[in-house]
Amino acid sequence: MSVKYIPVQWNPNKWVYDAVMLAGVAAFLWVFLYITPEVLSHERPINPQIHNARAFGACAFVMLTVILCIGPAAKLDKRFLPLLYNRRHFGVMTAFVALTHAGYILNWYFAFSSSDKYVGLLYANISFGQIAGFPFEVFGIFALICLLILAATSHDFWLKFLTPPVWKRLHYLIYAAYFSVAAHVSLGILQDQQNHVFTILFIAGAGAVIVLHIAAWMSERRETAAKDGAWAEVARVGDFREGYAKIAKLANGDRVAVYLMEGKLSAISNACAHQNGPLGEGKIIDCLVTCPWHGFQYDVRSGRSPAPFTEKVPTYRVRVAGDMVEVHPDANPPGTYVEPVPLPVPAPETPEEGAMA
Amino acid sequence: MDVAQALVMAMQAWGMIGAVVAAAFLTIGIDRIDEDARGAYIFRPLLIPGVLLIWPIVLWRWWQIETERAAWAARYRPVRANYGLAVILMSIGIVVIVITGLSVRQTWPADIAPVQLTEGADQ
Repeated sequence: MSVKYIPVQWNPNKWVYDAVMLAGVAAFLWVFLYITPEVLSHERPINPQIHNARAFGACAFVMLTVILCIGPAAKLDKRFLPLLYNRRHFGVMTAFVALTHAGYILNWYFAFSSSDKYVGLLYANISFGQIAGFPFEVFGIFALICLLILAATSHDFWLKFLTPPVWKRLHYLIYAAYFSVAAHVSLGILQDQQNHVFTILFIAGAGAVIVLHIAAWMSERRETAAKDGAWAEVARVGDFREGYAKIAKLANGDRVAVYLMEGKLSAISNACAHQNGPLGEGKIIDCLVTCPWHGFQYDVRSGRSPAPFTEKVPTYRVRVAGDMVEVHPDANPPGTYVEPVPLPVPAPETPEEGAMA
Repeated sequence: MDVAQALVMAMQAWGMIGAVVAAAFLTIGIDRIDEDARGAYIFRPLLIPGVLLIWPIVLWRWWQIETERAAWAARYRPVRANYGLAVILMSIGIVVIVITGLSVRQTWPADIAPVQLTEGADQ
C-alpha cells in the first residue's frame, strides 16, 4: 500500500474538523477582542497590538489545553477518538496562533529599540535571580520552539523517517511545552490581573489537563499490571467476533491485535507500519485488515501487505488456555507467517466469506 | 547584551546549517532513503521548516538508514513506558509554577484607596 507523499491528506471528515476548528479560533478571538474586554479587564487603556497579542496568546493556550485533553480523553472514552484522528491539524494551527502572538509582542515591545529586536527580547529582562519579575519570556520562547518543532514534523514523512519511537519521543516535547506555557502565563500575565476570571479559567484548563492525563496513565497502569506474565491474556473465547479483533496491551506497553478469521485466531502488531494507526480497529475483508487511518492493508496471518506493496508488521504467537485467548509478548520479525490457531467451539455465529487475497 | 547577541547569532548559524542540510537532504537524500518520496516533489517544501529545526536528527537518521544500522525491532519498541514520567513531571511542574506565580503576585496600586500618611498637608 506504498503511496507517494502528498502535501496534506484531506478527506471530508478532515474538512469538517478543520472548518470547525477555524470557526472556533475565529469565534474565540472575536469574543476576546470585542465581547469581553470588561471581563478580562481590558477596558484599561491598552493599544490594539497588546490587545491582539493577548487574544492570540490566550487562544494558543486554550488550543493547547484542548489538544492535550483529547489524547487522554480518547484513552478513557472511545467516543473522543474522532477528535484524536486529525489532531495534527489542530497542532499546526496552534503553532501558527502562538507564532502570531509572538509576532505582536516582538513588533510592539521590541520593535522601536536601536538594537536588533531578537537581541532586545533576550536582553530586556535578565533578572533570572528573582521570581517576581522573572523573565517569563524565556518560557514562551521555549514553548514556541517546541510547538514549531512538533508542527514542522507532523507530516507523514517524519513518522516513517524518524521511526515511531523517535518521533513519539520528540513529540513528548508537548508536555515540556505545556509546562513552559503554564510558567509563561503564571509569571507573566497572571502577575497583572485585576479580576480573577482569567486566573480561574487558566487554572481550570491546566487542572483539566493534569487530571485527565493522570487518570489515563493510572488506567493504563491498571490494565498493564493485570496482564503481566509470560503469556498475556487477550479476551475470553466467546468475546471474539468473526472478522474483528480484540486488542491486548502487553506489559512492555506494546499493543497486539488478535483477529478471528474463518474461525481461527491470528495476532499482529496493533500499530500500522505506516503511521502507527490502530490496526485492531479495522475489519478483515478477504484475509486483509485495513488500517482505519490511511487504508494500508495487511494479511493478518503474516503481517504483510498484499503484493506489490511491501509493508510488514510484526506477528505474535497465539494460544487458547481454557476459556482464555492468550498472546506471547515476544514479537516475531515483521512479515513472519504464523499458523492461525483454531478457536474452540462454539463456532462463530456468522462466518464471513473466506476468499483468499 | 553579548550573551543575547551570541544566542541570536547561534540561532542564525543553526538555521544556515539547517538550510544546507535541507538542500542536500531534500534533493538527494530523501530519494535514496524513502521510496515513497521518489517522484513526489510538491510535499518537499513542507519539510524544510522541520529540517531547519532538527537537522542534527535528520543527519543522524539519514546516516542510520544509509548504513542500515537500525535493528528492525527498534521501530516497534514502545515508548509508552515514558508516558507516566512525562505526565508526572509536567503535573508537578505546573502545580509548583502556578502556586509560585500566585504567591508573588502583587496587588495593583490603583486598587488601593489613597491614605494620608501625615497630617502635615492640612496644617
